Amino acid sequence: MKTVMIICAGVILVIKPKVAFGQLSGSNTFEFQYGNLPYEENRDLTTSYDQLNIYYDYNNFSLYGRAEHFLSPYRERNYFQLTQKRAQYQDDHFNIRLGNFYETIGRGLLLRSYEIPGSVFEEDFYRTRYAFNQDVEGISAEFNHDFFDLQLVRGRPLFNPLPPNFEPDSLRRQALFEAVETNIFLSGDYSIGGAYMRVYENGARDFQEYGSLMFNGNLPLNFQLISEYAFNTETNLFNFGDNESYAFYTGLNYFYDTFGASLEYKNYNDFTLGSGFNNPPSLIKEHTYPVLNRSTHVLSTENETGIQIEAFYTFEDGHSLTANYTTAKNEVSRRFDYSEYFLEGSYKVNEFLTIKSFLDYANDEIKGQENRISTGVITEKLFDYTWSLTVDVQYQQFDSGFNENHPENYYASISINYIPDLTVSAIFEASTDPNLTDDPRTFDIEKDTRTWFGGNILYKINRTHTVEVFGGKRRGGPACTSGICYERLDFEGFELRVSSRF
Amino acid sequence: MKFFIPFLLLIVATTDINQTIYNFKLKNLDNRTVSYQDLKGENLTIIDFWATWCKPCLQSIPKLVKMSHEFEDRGVQFIGVSVDGPRNLNKVRPFAKSVGIDYPVLLDTDNSVMGRVGVRAVPSLLIVNSNDEIVYFHEGYAPGEDKIIREEILNHLNPS
Repeated sequence: MKTVMIICAGVILVIKPKVAFGQLSGSNTFEFQYGNLPYEENRDLTTSYDQLNIYYDYNNFSLYGRAEHFLSPYRERNYFQLTQKRAQYQDDHFNIRLGNFYETIGRGLLLRSYEIPGSVFEEDFYRTRYAFNQDVEGISAEFNHDFFDLQLVRGRPLFNPLPPNFEPDSLRRQALFEAVETNIFLSGDYSIGGAYMRVYENGARDFQEYGSLMFNGNLPLNFQLISEYAFNTETNLFNFGDNESYAFYTGLNYFYDTFGASLEYKNYNDFTLGSGFNNPPSLIKEHTYPVLNRSTHVLSTENETGIQIEAFYTFEDGHSLTANYTTAKNEVSRRFDYSEYFLEGSYKVNEFLTIKSFLDYANDEIKGQENRISTGVITEKLFDYTWSLTVDVQYQQFDSGFNENHPENYYASISINYIPDLTVSAIFEASTDPNLTDDPRTFDIEKDTRTWFGGNILYKINRTHTVEVFGGKRRGGPACTSGICYERLDFEGFELRVSSRF
Repeated sequence: MKFFIPFLLLIVATTDINQTIYNFKLKNLDNRTVSYQDLKGENLTIIDFWATWCKPCLQSIPKLVKMSHEFEDRGVQFIGVSVDGPRNLNKVRPFAKSVGIDYPVLLDTDNSVMGRVGVRAVPSLLIVNSNDEIVYFHEGYAPGEDKIIREEILNHLNPS
């Protein structure tokens, strides 16, 4: 295998700049780690991960391949695989793909596949690293016309908690689906659509059938209405009873000058398709602030209803204000409620100084967190257009049903950016949450405050190559990016990442 | 020896050559599918990847809107690509209007275009010339970096 890989690399090296009648391009991510999870015995574990993506384009045709390689001292964790490959034809009206691709039907009620570019995922059980995506392996044909779109898809979605070297490989793509979707444009402002999907599970001959109805309309006075109703065909149409299988989503948005607002409603019941390859809108505010990003509510398509209201306003002199209210209700053996109020402001003192702050109050019965208060202040100062300083301080506290004390989380970072190539930052975190302070290797429950401290250097060598170095302790936990939530593992040690485009 | 192959792949991927943008197709805010070729500028196309949840985007977008007005008569077309997933799609249109975007906004819901052109973080900005070559790539945004972006646009409009 190594020989084949070296030959491939050699061929690429020789032909890379321009293949005779086409264009070769791609990207590479290399990540080396020295260190381990906090409570693992082997403290000097060395691992490396590489992901190479290569595209070959010739007129309307393109070929794509992704190779991934993981190496560690443990043979059973290691792999080198061609994890994605695709042939594609695309012109003004047609887009035909064969192999691995990403596709979303409607608003994701029936199907959502995705990739978080550049992210490397590691699962606690298998301890191997791989690209974080949920692709579809199969065939897709799409036709676009001024009056309608038509799309046919047949494929097997990836069950991404299982790593590429998992055996048998067939368990990573157990479900098979066939779907057709169309959107008809009634005018420049209105479209209606429909989708039909068959899902075969575990190679079974029997299948489940699903349908979906969609509406998208630009209404008068700057309103826009988006709705989708998806259902199991055995269910009673437009019956939202407990025994029915459906997902209903509607969103209304509005803008006037620099004011914008969004109102959304969800009602999902018994609507997890296959291993969960559908991903309806969760209607939960997506936060990038670390203390809030970790505390997110994860959608349950088995039973969840709720609303989300958000409003934002940008002032003439650059200040901005965002307010969000979210509520969700789950009926799983009993009722669990989730509610969150969020307010965020950004104040531009002058061209060189910006202050941002946020305040969040939430109750999350599933997590057992009540009266959760989170707040933070971020100050950015620009010096002479040559470098900038960012200081970020965040705090969180909540009442826990499992603990008499009030667990607290602290986050602080300082970052210096030498424009535009170099960023140096230091991050400190602390927690009194017993779920984090306890050492799982002992019978006692440790309550001492747990801390994390790490440093990060990011250097852009040129417009195609970036080097990132991390050293110290990094706190893991739930993370959400682009609406996708996953678990990040803690890490203690040294990490080098080199990202390239070519 | 065991790290040789990843390092070899790293070397393979580290030669600096011009990357070409492909003719991607995405839906716009009116649910219509449009392509890069439909929208590209006569001289330059500036493609900005952003998201409603991205804090630096709140700072960078107003600067880009200002630049789009400054260069609109010089064959420079700005395109915004929102990488928001279904979770935030309903916010994209009011957010874009709130921050003043008046150039086309496309929806890369499954991040496929983002991954295809090698964007790993938002905001990321690409300057593409009339030959569809990516001549500048700017990842992230910190206060003051708009001056560098503006200089790059001028440099590629008036190559010496």
